[in-house]
Amino acid sequence: MIGESVRRPDMPGKVTGRAQYAGDLSLPGMLHAKTKRSTVAHARIKRIDATKALAYPGVKAVLTHHDVPRVLHYGSPHPRSASVTKDQYILDSRVRYWGESVAVVAATSEEIAEEALDLIEVEYEELPAAFTVEQALAPGFPPIHERADNLVVDPVVVRRGDVDQGFAEADLVVEGTYAMGRPTPAYMEPNVCVCRWDDDRLTVWISTQTPFMVRGSLAEVLGLPHHKVRVLVDHMGGGFGAKQDLFQSEFLCALLAQRTRRPVRMEFTRKETFLGGRSRHPGTVWLRQGFKKDGTITAREARVTFNSGAYGSHAPGVTAVGTAALTSLYRCDNVHLEGRCVYTNTPIAGAFRGYGVVQTYYALDIQMEEAAERLGMDPAELKLRNAVREGDLSPSGHPIIGHGLEDCIRRGVEEVNWKQIRGQGRKTENQEDSDPGPIRRGWGMGCEMHGSSAYPGIKEQGNATVRMNEDGTVQLFTGTTGLGTGAHTALAQVVAEELGVRFEDVSVVHGDTDVVPWDIGAFASHTTYMGGRAAQMAAAEVKEEVLAIAAEALEASPADLEIRQGRVRIKGSDRGISVREAVSPKKGLPTKQLIASASYTPTKSYSFAAHFVEVQVDTETGQVDVLQVVPVHEIGRVIHPVAAEGQIEGGIQQGIGHTLTEDYIVDPVTGRSLNAGFVDYKMPLSMDMPPIRTIILETAPDPGGPFGAKGVGEDPIIAIGPAIANAVYDATGVRFRHYPITPEQVLEGLRQKRKG
Amino acid sequence: MKISLTLNGEARELEVEPCRSLLDVLRNEAGLPGTKKGCDVGDCGACTVILDGKPVNSCLVLGVEAEGREVTTIEGIQPAPDRLHPLQEKFMQLGGAQCGFCTPGMIVMAKALLDENPSPTEEEIRFGIAGNICRCTGYTKIVEAIQAAAEEMGK
Repeated sequence: MIGESVRRPDMPGKVTGRAQYAGDLSLPGMLHAKTKRSTVAHARIKRIDATKALAYPGVKAVLTHHDVPRVLHYGSPHPRSASVTKDQYILDSRVRYWGESVAVVAATSEEIAEEALDLIEVEYEELPAAFTVEQALAPGFPPIHERADNLVVDPVVVRRGDVDQGFAEADLVVEGTYAMGRPTPAYMEPNVCVCRWDDDRLTVWISTQTPFMVRGSLAEVLGLPHHKVRVLVDHMGGGFGAKQDLFQSEFLCALLAQRTRRPVRMEFTRKETFLGGRSRHPGTVWLRQGFKKDGTITAREARVTFNSGAYGSHAPGVTAVGTAALTSLYRCDNVHLEGRCVYTNTPIAGAFRGYGVVQTYYALDIQMEEAAERLGMDPAELKLRNAVREGDLSPSGHPIIGHGLEDCIRRGVEEVNWKQIRGQGRKTENQEDSDPGPIRRGWGMGCEMHGSSAYPGIKEQGNATVRMNEDGTVQLFTGTTGLGTGAHTALAQVVAEELGVRFEDVSVVHGDTDVVPWDIGAFASHTTYMGGRAAQMAAAEVKEEVLAIAAEALEASPADLEIRQGRVRIKGSDRGISVREAVSPKKGLPTKQLIASASYTPTKSYSFAAHFVEVQVDTETGQVDVLQVVPVHEIGRVIHPVAAEGQIEGGIQQGIGHTLTEDYIVDPVTGRSLNAGFVDYKMPLSMDMPPIRTIILETAPDPGGPFGAKGVGEDPIIAIGPAIANAVYDATGVRFRHYPITPEQVLEGLRQKRKG
Repeated sequence: MKISLTLNGEARELEVEPCRSLLDVLRNEAGLPGTKKGCDVGDCGACTVILDGKPVNSCLVLGVEAEGREVTTIEGIQPAPDRLHPLQEKFMQLGGAQCGFCTPGMIVMAKALLDENPSPTEEEIRFGIAGNICRCTGYTKIVEAIQAAAEEMGK
């Protein structure tokens, strides 16, 4: 069961078109809502007049900031244990970025709603706008929110050991600044919700990773008790972290439905999914490390600066996690790290797969390669020498289990024949007797580690209820959502394994906050690890009850029984009864209800990866193509191999995009979004994607997860970036310290190198 | 206005607004929401349907243009209620779908490809689905699923 790629129960619906997504819902009398968005980046709204729009035939309601409750609320709906920022209104009298919502319309058709938007008159009084961190931090620049310094929260400071002492002991100091662009998750399903009121009860169908956070936020901001808000999520078309937030549209859709007394559907266009969505945090990492001649790291100092955009969203969490990650991956006793996140008048950055660590490990891993070269060492050897291992203090503050990172590096080095393949591109170039032609090839590696669960930022809790029916079939009730990762399948596998029943006999009930146990949300690579563990615990309790009932029937002690393949057996004998027989009604009397709930409060486990990448660089056009990827991941016990590989391969696809082509661009003069669409925001397509030979190791299982399982969702997107940058260096000898690395920059880099 | 078309093998009459795309007509008027709207401007391929034997982005075709023509959507790929198309089987088995939002368009595009070229090379498959964006899978497992389905169908 565990380790088998069973058929995912969500698949038949997805391949036949029957799977219901929030946007597929159509209700009688349903209205359609559209959003008017600001055409300036920073302004006070002097006047907003919806009179003409309201008079337009088919328009049923218009809401501006005058018509909605003015409640300051949290940008990220995470539980309040986390450092979250209270900086958003449903609609404000001020706009802080180009594309922010200023009004909404509900009408009898999408077309009418769209036309009515143009009839809403808005007069802006423009304010100075900051599009970069430097502008926002400039002395005297007016505050974008309450804080005069334009920081989202106080800087994150992490200190261990004594950095001055560490640098004093170093034989080599390497220093650099690394810069990151603004990739977006670009999930295929645009944000969408449908709201309906039944008297004083609100029902919301929505594509979200965090239905209980949506319920909690709606309740808090609209002043409703939780039992009057029901949030429903069935299938969802991806989220990649960003669909943890609320996007203000949920509040507005609910208010429009309340005002019109009709169901209202609000779906973002693709452009709005860029404008009103969330990106990864752009930023810079200044990093300095000291090394001994033998490669041992003696000190590490870093200043991480992220651009939060116009609101805080996940800035506190991303800054803390990304900064703290620099304590680890490569061991170092003396660290001094500082992380800052700055408001600017640009679209909002939020949670996105890799959560700050993508940025900081890009810097760290590239700098390790720079150091290796100056030390005259093989980078793989340098990374291996410093790789974190069993007992080292992790970023979350507790000891690492096992030797996952070393295992990944060693396996990859062997797999790709690392020592022989490097430097080929430059070797060709230096051969005087032959023309190497314009094409260079090179190999690079990148490493990462990432935690399952958001601990210690959030003290999380995974919940599950398991019920056995009177025919021996089982239902798992879980509040976690199915982003498409296959998590519900994995959870069902865990329950089947624990109970000893067939996978086919377990089904998963999910997606209804009125029915399933409370859930924190599907994020932080924790669903299988934490939700799976809770499911296992609940299943174990039900199993105990089943064994007690069967023990009576078999006249044996429960301790002597086991369940396998749906049969309760006396260990070491053939004597037994089926689970169905054991729990079915006897003489017309039902068995006692077999139901158990469990809560699991995890700490954290870490998964590891080393990616090996071959690239090809055309020195005449600057084009970089990834030719092949060999990702080696250590993720503990694998529950569903095909789904785990799918996570890895998909993460690599997004990471290739980040590193080479994807960058959501804001006009530096107007703050206007310049490429809010799939033609200009360029993601890898089928023709761009190289073959990926995935290797999964299970050498460091974590006792905190079910059967030793750990997370995998975020890991792959972190390691691929530095692997590509390092491969480009191997091919060309040009070192890039930013992403995306564009063809123009490659050409310029080659030109500078030729000039010497 | 009223249009008549053959939709998934069935003669249908639909009342449509002249401004509506075929995608909106399918999802709303025809009651077939399996075809997905990922961008509505022809960039992503999630809304791919087969129109008179050719794959099209249904968001770039007006509903009224389907008058008298034959349209196959994801709902029309399954050969019988108790049986799936080999493409559907292989997408499930080999991990060709994750979130599933691009999957209807991807499978319809693959069907159109295999109708024209029953045993495509990997390169031809990658070219065939180049207009269908998937953000979850990295495409490897999609290409494998299409290859496996082609083999299955060729048996």
